[in-house]
Amino acid sequence: MDIAAKTALVVGGGPAGMEAALKIGQAGFRAVLVEREPDLGGTLRKLVSSFPRWENPADLISVKVQMLEGNGNVECLTSTTLISTERSEKGFWVALRHLKNGGSRELDVDAVILATGFDLMDVSVYGEYGYGIYPNVMSSLEFEERLRTWKEGVGPMPKAVAFFKCVGSRDRSKGFPYCSRICCMYTAKQAGLVKDLFPETKVYVFYMDYRAAGKGYEEFVRDVIEKKHVRYVRGRPAKVLPENGRLLVRAEDTLMGIPVEVVVDMVVLASAIVPRAETRALAKTFGALTDEYGFIEPVPYTTMRSGERIFFAGGCGFAVETQGALQQGAAAAAEVIALFNKSEF
Amino acid sequence: MDTEIYTPLRLDEIEGSLQEEILENLGVDIETCLECGKCSGGCSNGHIFDYTPRKIVQLVKMGDEETLSGMDALWICLSCQLCLDRCPSGIDIPRILDYLREKAVKRDVRATRPNAKLFMELMLKEVRDKGRISEVPLMIRFKKKTGQYLKDAGLGFRMLLKGKLSPFPSRIQKTVGFKKLLSESASENKG
Ligand SMILES: Cc1cc2nc3c(=O)[nH]c(=O)nc-3n(C[C@H](O)[C@H](O)[C@H](O)COP(=O)(O)OP(=O)(O)OC[C@H]3O[C@@H](n4cnc5c(N)ncnc54)[C@H](O)[C@@H]3O)c2cc1C
Ligand code: SF4
Ligand code: SF4
Ligand code: SF4
Repeated sequence: MDIAAKTALVVGGGPAGMEAALKIGQAGFRAVLVEREPDLGGTLRKLVSSFPRWENPADLISVKVQMLEGNGNVECLTSTTLISTERSEKGFWVALRHLKNGGSRELDVDAVILATGFDLMDVSVYGEYGYGIYPNVMSSLEFEERLRTWKEGVGPMPKAVAFFKCVGSRDRSKGFPYCSRICCMYTAKQAGLVKDLFPETKVYVFYMDYRAAGKGYEEFVRDVIEKKHVRYVRGRPAKVLPENGRLLVRAEDTLMGIPVEVVVDMVVLASAIVPRAETRALAKTFGALTDEYGFIEPVPYTTMRSGERIFFAGGCGFAVETQGALQQGAAAAAEVIALFNKSEF
Repeated sequence: MDTEIYTPLRLDEIEGSLQEEILENLGVDIETCLECGKCSGGCSNGHIFDYTPRKIVQLVKMGDEETLSGMDALWICLSCQLCLDRCPSGIDIPRILDYLREKAVKRDVRATRPNAKLFMELMLKEVRDKGRISEVPLMIRFKKKTGQYLKDAGLGFRMLLKGKLSPFPSRIQKTVGFKKLLSESASENKG
């Protein structure tokens, strides 16, 4: 049998899924990439700039999309999702549905890569922060949208903005004892972007510590503090209260051991990264391993293999930055290519 | 005891003016502080400071001039430069303290710790007159003024035995040139 006829299904068209499909196609195998949204790019499509190099994420997406379109082995199906699947003798039988025209399609695939990304925790569980009550308390992803509109010149300049880190993360009481890994970096980025747009605006980042372990990361955060003049205040805020149409934040400055307050126009919550509910369901149907939270796990001593012919990459495994998602996509592709090359049937 | 009314510090109401002032006048940028506390850990007198060097940097950030000019640390800092030497960001805390001391003196803020200012004045007089400090005569003058003749006598005696104290005053050779230098630097500070 012609091994080049082997096909991998990649679920999710963010950076991880795009990279995985691309590498499989470049190696001469077939890849079918399904993305629920009308466009490829995943969460990156919602970001206005990215750490650690202040790049426009749209550039990365367009480079990858061009490469995917130029590769005859990859088929990108947008506005499409997976509706059912069954394990077959040599892989999986899957049924796909087009979400707009309702059309469906069935196919047999030899391997599956899950690249469905992560979700943000529902931060309205923090009554003390008033998310869902005060319109100017928003999640980090919603704030990216706000940054975009500000960049386009829409919306008034805020006098002051406060960022809260570790909202949900490192909080046993809410069930997420882990650190969400990317929020220290994107919070620094968002705070710095506010200063770029409005140098007069006062920007406060409430933090317990900042975790910047990556190439260029520490320098990135220091620049935001030292050159863009974002004020980092150590302490985990306790309460947000309305005050004359603005928001009063209460916290302790734990470096001095004194209570502090600040009045701002907007509060941005760096919500914990959590697994998507449907990733959990997909992992179950495909027989992929998951951890206690529902993130996909590798089989011991493998990189991105999570079961028999089932692989994963990117945010569905855990919080990861774009570069890491791309690397995992490539690693998952390498596992698939190795499998396709060695199978004799 | 005074009962303090609970008034949280309003971060948006303190301007970063002191911080900017220090950056402008001294070229010391405290925004590079990593809040690591290495300065405080190594400070020669940190164990008796009411505000450790790290906290002093924070107070500057908070623009809390009142606390800064009233704190003991301002008068019992030895200007030994250890904090600066150890700081990973090279923040010149002794220079900040010098600056704050000057400001406090101008505003006639008194040190709360008894005799701290008197000691400073006597010490500076000794430097002006002799170009160097001789501990024993300085201590005698200090004790005469305060009447605390026996305080620290045991420590002084032990230091004497170890040769750390010399009972005889000494002076530098070219006092005239030195005085000129001093007056020049004083007029520079004014200008
Ligand atoms: C607020 C915020 C700011 C960030 N800023 C930065 C930054 O500055 N720099 C940086 O490097 N990283 C940043 N990140 C992280 C970055 O977004 C992620 O690293 C990256 O998006 C992960 O890629 P991914 O492909 O794993 O997942 P995603 O980008 O989330 O893509 C997953 C895709 O799968 C699709 N999908 C899910 N389920 C299905 C299904 N059942 N069927 C079909 N399609 C499905 C989704 O629609 C989505 O398009 C930020 C993240 C957040 C939340
Ligand atoms: S990455 Fe930073 S903000 Fe996010 S959970 Fe970890 S420590 Fe908190
Ligand atoms: S110069 Fe002052 S603050 Fe710095 S280590 Fe010496 S005594 Fe402490
Ligand atoms: S040693 Fe330097 S960086 Fe560390 S707390 Fe002191 S002043 Fe800040």
